[in-house]
Amino acid sequence: MKISLNWLKKYVDIKIPDEELVRLIGARLVEVEGVIDETHKYDNIYVVRVESAEKIPDTHLTLCKINVGDIEVKNVPKTDGLVQVMCGAPNVHAGMLAAWIAPGAVVPASVHEDAPFVIGKRTMLKKYDSYGMLAAADELDLGVDHEGIIEIEPSMAKPGEAFADVFELKDKILEIENKSLTHRPDCFGLIGFAREVAGILGQRFDEPIFLTHETVFEAGFLEQTKNSVRKKGTKIKIKIEDAKICPRYTCAQIKIVDPLAKNKYFSMMDTILAKSGMHSISKIVDVTNYLMLLTGQPLHAFDYDKFNKVGGTSEPNVIVRVAKKGEKIELLDGSILECTSDDILITSNNVPVGLAGAMGGANTMIDENTKNVFLEAATFSLFNLRKTQMSHGIFSEAITRFTKGIPAGGTFNVLAEAIKEINGKVIDMNDEWMEDVKSNTVEVSVNEINDLLGTQYDEALIIKTLSNVGFDIKKKGKKLLVIAPYWRTDIHISEDITEEVGRLLGYDNIAPVLPLHLTAERNPAFVLRRRIRELMARYGASEALTYSFVSGRLLEKAGQDVKNSYKIINSISPELQYIRQSIVPSLLDKTYMNEKLPVDKFAIYEMNSIYRKEYGMDTESVPIEKASLGFVIAERKNKDTAFYKAKKYAAKLFEELNIEVDFLPLEGKRAEEKPFEPKRSAEIFINEEYVGVVGEFKNSVKTEFKLAPYVAGFEVDIELLLKYMSQKKTIAFGVKKKEDLTITTNKTYAEALKQVKKDYPDAQILPGVIYQAEGQNDRNITFHIIK
Amino acid sequence: MNELEKLKQELKKINAEAVGVKDLPVEKRAEFGRKINTKKAEILAKIAEAEKALLDVDAEPIDVTAWSGTNEAMPEFYPTEFGSKHPLMTELDRVIEIYQMMGFDVMESRQLDDEFHMFDSLNFAKEHPARDGYDTFRTEEGLIPPAHTSTMEHRALKKYKYKLEKGEPIAVVIPGRVYRNEDVDATHEHTFYQCEGMFVSKDCTLGNMLGVLREFFERYYEQKLEIRTQPGYFPFTEPSVELLIEKPKSLGGKKGDWLEMLGCGMTHPNVLKMAGIDPTVYHGFAWGGGIERLVLLKYALGDIRLFESGNLNFLREFN
Repeated sequence: MKISLNWLKKYVDIKIPDEELVRLIGARLVEVEGVIDETHKYDNIYVVRVESAEKIPDTHLTLCKINVGDIEVKNVPKTDGLVQVMCGAPNVHAGMLAAWIAPGAVVPASVHEDAPFVIGKRTMLKKYDSYGMLAAADELDLGVDHEGIIEIEPSMAKPGEAFADVFELKDKILEIENKSLTHRPDCFGLIGFAREVAGILGQRFDEPIFLTHETVFEAGFLEQTKNSVRKKGTKIKIKIEDAKICPRYTCAQIKIVDPLAKNKYFSMMDTILAKSGMHSISKIVDVTNYLMLLTGQPLHAFDYDKFNKVGGTSEPNVIVRVAKKGEKIELLDGSILECTSDDILITSNNVPVGLAGAMGGANTMIDENTKNVFLEAATFSLFNLRKTQMSHGIFSEAITRFTKGIPAGGTFNVLAEAIKEINGKVIDMNDEWMEDVKSNTVEVSVNEINDLLGTQYDEALIIKTLSNVGFDIKKKGKKLLVIAPYWRTDIHISEDITEEVGRLLGYDNIAPVLPLHLTAERNPAFVLRRRIRELMARYGASEALTYSFVSGRLLEKAGQDVKNSYKIINSISPELQYIRQSIVPSLLDKTYMNEKLPVDKFAIYEMNSIYRKEYGMDTESVPIEKASLGFVIAERKNKDTAFYKAKKYAAKLFEELNIEVDFLPLEGKRAEEKPFEPKRSAEIFINEEYVGVVGEFKNSVKTEFKLAPYVAGFEVDIELLLKYMSQKKTIAFGVKKKEDLTITTNKTYAEALKQVKKDYPDAQILPGVIYQAEGQNDRNITFHIIK
Repeated sequence: MNELEKLKQELKKINAEAVGVKDLPVEKRAEFGRKINTKKAEILAKIAEAEKALLDVDAEPIDVTAWSGTNEAMPEFYPTEFGSKHPLMTELDRVIEIYQMMGFDVMESRQLDDEFHMFDSLNFAKEHPARDGYDTFRTEEGLIPPAHTSTMEHRALKKYKYKLEKGEPIAVVIPGRVYRNEDVDATHEHTFYQCEGMFVSKDCTLGNMLGVLREFFERYYEQKLEIRTQPGYFPFTEPSVELLIEKPKSLGGKKGDWLEMLGCGMTHPNVLKMAGIDPTVYHGFAWGGGIERLVLLKYALGDIRLFESGNLNFLREFN
């Protein structure tokens, strides 16, 4: 959202420098993403009077002599006190006031370009000198119109006056981050924003008169029933199917001449639309847009006669209802929309004429033949409109405001102001306010506020701060009864009031104080992971992090069943569609890339959470989460058996944590074991409990992942490490005797070891090399015996 | 071998059968083609499976109980120079360590959660537009890989409620991995890390919150720091604030440079209430901030995608 400081200053008396104001707005209202300084954007642009305009035959050009008042521009000659300029616009004529971009000035529309365009002297049709240019709205960056130059109302200015002074264009535009105002629909209009700025500055906000009184209607024209204000004997019928979808619907029939006409003269309203990021379209649309920017209340104008014709009625019969699923409506932009049952429709006698809050229907669009306008100011369910926004992708200024929850209290006054601005004649007017109006009243005490903030604000300051922005405060014993104005739909509990006080007076004025010192418990899982990281780094392994989301293809490559993975329905890409079942496949995916880098040899590992559907749900009905450590080594040139290096790393990990494990032949049934080759892998057990797998990968897996021959890894359950790790470690001091023992056998290492252990019950036995002579069945297994 | 041969024979048969399509009346051809194609796809899948199995049959068994291969040297560990710790984990450790010194317990955040913890328990109204701001992923079951570590607030409150009953405050930090459905570029990641913090006691104030956070950043950057706030909006805090710190000297900060560090606020009474804590007796405050940003700033890194890249050239920089 864009906020013009000049416009803001019309509603609040601001005496501090702009920088300080921006700082305070940032600190106490909303994040200011940027400030566009337009102080010099309109330098050297002047109001001039076209004294003569002579059409050059057979061209679109007009030779103009302009009165530039007292302005003297270097190298711009005056003849009879007039400057010569050529103009291509069809609407240029003698006697008009126009905007002249003098030679040397930058064309405002090009200010933000890399090479801003500087106007100079040109010679046209080889003989006409032209100094500067008469500007159209688009060149001034104040609209999109390029059909003609802008014309200024004669009473507004004199030749030679700076254009920027006349239209208050020496301005700064604040770029506001909308997200932090999600709960503040009132701040999506300049008045609401200005009210907050007044509050921040400690000033009482003067509510614009039109918001509290209406002045359009003749005496006796209106009557009031409950909350609703309508014309006596109105012929407009309004039926709202459900108060929840449309709390209030206010509308009027207005007689108007030439509704598509653009205003002849360029106006302040044009500049405000432009500064707010919109642009002039037609008289009626401009007024509705302007009032939306000013008040936050969007308006919509239908063709009154079409409205009745479509519904087959002589007077409007407005029915507001939710759409039937699949019901179709053609919108203003020509698109045909298929509704969902959450969309709200404005219908004429049940025939859809508008998608509420989003866009009007094509069948009731205003055109040059429109004689009566049917103007609507309503509020709708933000929940329904949010769904409309999402399912149809409509992101207009209006729906952005509606989805914040526009308060119902403002529709009538904004409608009345629109009628005044349009300058049409009100024929009829009706209003249906479905809710009982009750103001939000919150009870809060001065102590409660100070206790939560850590402040010592006194009662008088709190009352003044709140009443400055429209809260009504009554005292009730030791408590304050704070009555929120209708536009503060976000106020419900005492903490909301505390927030207002803290914010308006500035959180930065609250002293930071540390609470008392505490003692914390260590989290063993974090301590363990830190130890593992230390260990791995010491032994040359690199810690990696990879995505929790993997592709179905990756699971298949690793031999895992995709049905065992939770599937993301709105994933960014097929690469990120499933939640992984183990860590190793993600690392294998990185192995090929790293070998290509190239890194000749490496060990990478990751500790992270995994999920599998087979694990089921925990007591909170959310999927059971497991912590897993995956590890992979790879080398490009090594011809040895990779398994043993991976096993050495795994064994080191258990040794560090003082856990005794057994390596047993692999069955290969568990999901994390699927990529591992059963003939070249082992399951790891702590006593009888399975803790993980270490080994090489299946040939098919190696092919799929494009792995070099020397690659192996392991995956272990971190929670079991945590369960079995211990501080216990026996260290034997003293002189040690070491001897080697070699056994020739056809048994496995483990079987041979069992025999050796029997012979040396008290010794520490370490593995030595294994040798097998060519043509022999038996192997020579060497053991180092340390006594 | 036999199995594969059989499958290949079958494929040949189907291909032969497929030729018959031209003898069929036109209206039956489409149906016939569909059937043949389905059959063919099944056979091709089986062949792929069989070929895979064939590849795997070639694997030579080894003695997995041994510590080295036959006629091979004992394997060696890689040199320490190869080793490295992931910078995000190192930073997270440091963050946790500081909070622990300040008396905060540590709890870990989940990576797959539900609507209740992610939104309902945090006072997000049902269907409220504020839920959209989090760009959450969802599983088929409606589960959510959490978009913020606040998903753990409700659990933390319930877990540590006993402390309040003993007259002690709840003080906990909750680091974890979170996810947002965002297109990835140099400054955006769909997967990143946050650290949540919570404090609940009878008399804590917004001033205490500012005190704790300033203390943290002063310890983290090892210098005195100015802090600043701007109003924020989170359904689960009231008031809600964004905290900025003066850019530290170690990061090349000059006077007037500010860094937006985290969102924070006084815990909404409904959040306390839902966890069974009486908000008329207890107040709380909470905050949450990203870890990547700390690391990017610290090493002047320009690309957030490096963290999850698994690229060793990057990882080994953090030896």
